[in-house]
Amino acid sequence: MADLLIVIPAYNEADNIERVVDRLILEFPQYDYVVVNDGSRDRTAEICRKNGYNFLDLPVNLGLAGGFQTGLKYAARNGYRYAVQIDGDGQHRPEYIEAMRKKIDEGYDIVIGSRFVGEKKPFNMRMLGSNLIESAIRLTTGADIKDPTSGMRMFSRRLIEEFASGLNYGPEPDTMSYLIKQGARISEVPVVMDERIMGVSYLTPINAAKYMLKMLISILLIQNFRKRG
Amino acid sequence: MTVTLRILLIVASVLTTILLMRKIRHSKLQIEDSIFWIGFACILIVFSLFPAVPDFLSGLAGTYTTANFIYLFIIFLLIVKMFYMSVKMSQMETKIKDLVQEIALDENARRAHKKEDMPAAYRDEKEEKEPV
Repeated sequence: MADLLIVIPAYNEADNIERVVDRLILEFPQYDYVVVNDGSRDRTAEICRKNGYNFLDLPVNLGLAGGFQTGLKYAARNGYRYAVQIDGDGQHRPEYIEAMRKKIDEGYDIVIGSRFVGEKKPFNMRMLGSNLIESAIRLTTGADIKDPTSGMRMFSRRLIEEFASGLNYGPEPDTMSYLIKQGARISEVPVVMDERIMGVSYLTPINAAKYMLKMLISILLIQNFRKRG
Repeated sequence: MTVTLRILLIVASVLTTILLMRKIRHSKLQIEDSIFWIGFACILIVFSLFPAVPDFLSGLAGTYTTANFIYLFIIFLLIVKMFYMSVKMSQMETKIKDLVQEIALDENARRAHKKEDMPAAYRDEKEEKEPV
């Protein structure tokens, strides 16, 4: 058994899951993986079963936070040292796990696969949101995180346990800001991400605006009142 | 607005805010759910500290007095919130139902599977004891 677990949350990813997981199995056998099928209504579960993938089949849809937590519960129960999230749509490239692994071995709690370390952000609506969240985190914690919305994050054993049992530990920027404030050491490693090839993104303009509002209120207001544990 | 109503509003909004913060602090509430209540407490505080705001809105809505407007406004907000909670509760009940059914079906499948693996003699004995 490897000491690093790749958690792949998948919701309606029938078009992508085979490509993503087959690549992991063939080219990265040094890592363990688990697919979390979050109550998909398409053929995601069927494909996983047919191919004999290691997967957790949630009978109802829990949303990203609940699905990801299931993966980390699995990691905690099976004693993994590190867990990293890779999206089921194939936008995160597994070849960067090695670099993230090296970084977290230096003694960090969280390592983010960042699109913007040492690079300028392109100017568009999505980056405006990313900049706003970055500023909010700098304002409340003093930490400089270039790519807070990146979904490719690696966590240490200590944080795996915390994510597995905690309430309000979604894999989102507001949780990062909370953890930094609680003294977690965080670092970023440059990565390149792909655009999603098949299927539709959940991020419609209205959903993006709602997400931004929620993140900003959460980072600027709510996280300041939270107590640890 | 009378001075008494203003004082009442200020006290109520501050107490509400303190209660909310305490619950959030002890992780009793999900962040999604606390956002509405924080907004609600903010509105109460704004109304009580700056009565010009509800006065102006009351004029727009055509209510007889500002106090009437505040009642109307809060009742409206709560009805909308209640509707959304009702929707959410229906979804939760459906999910629980699905989960319970899933557990029962799973357990049944596992039992059937086990029976096939058992030696024939034991299987007969077992079936007599436990009619399913």
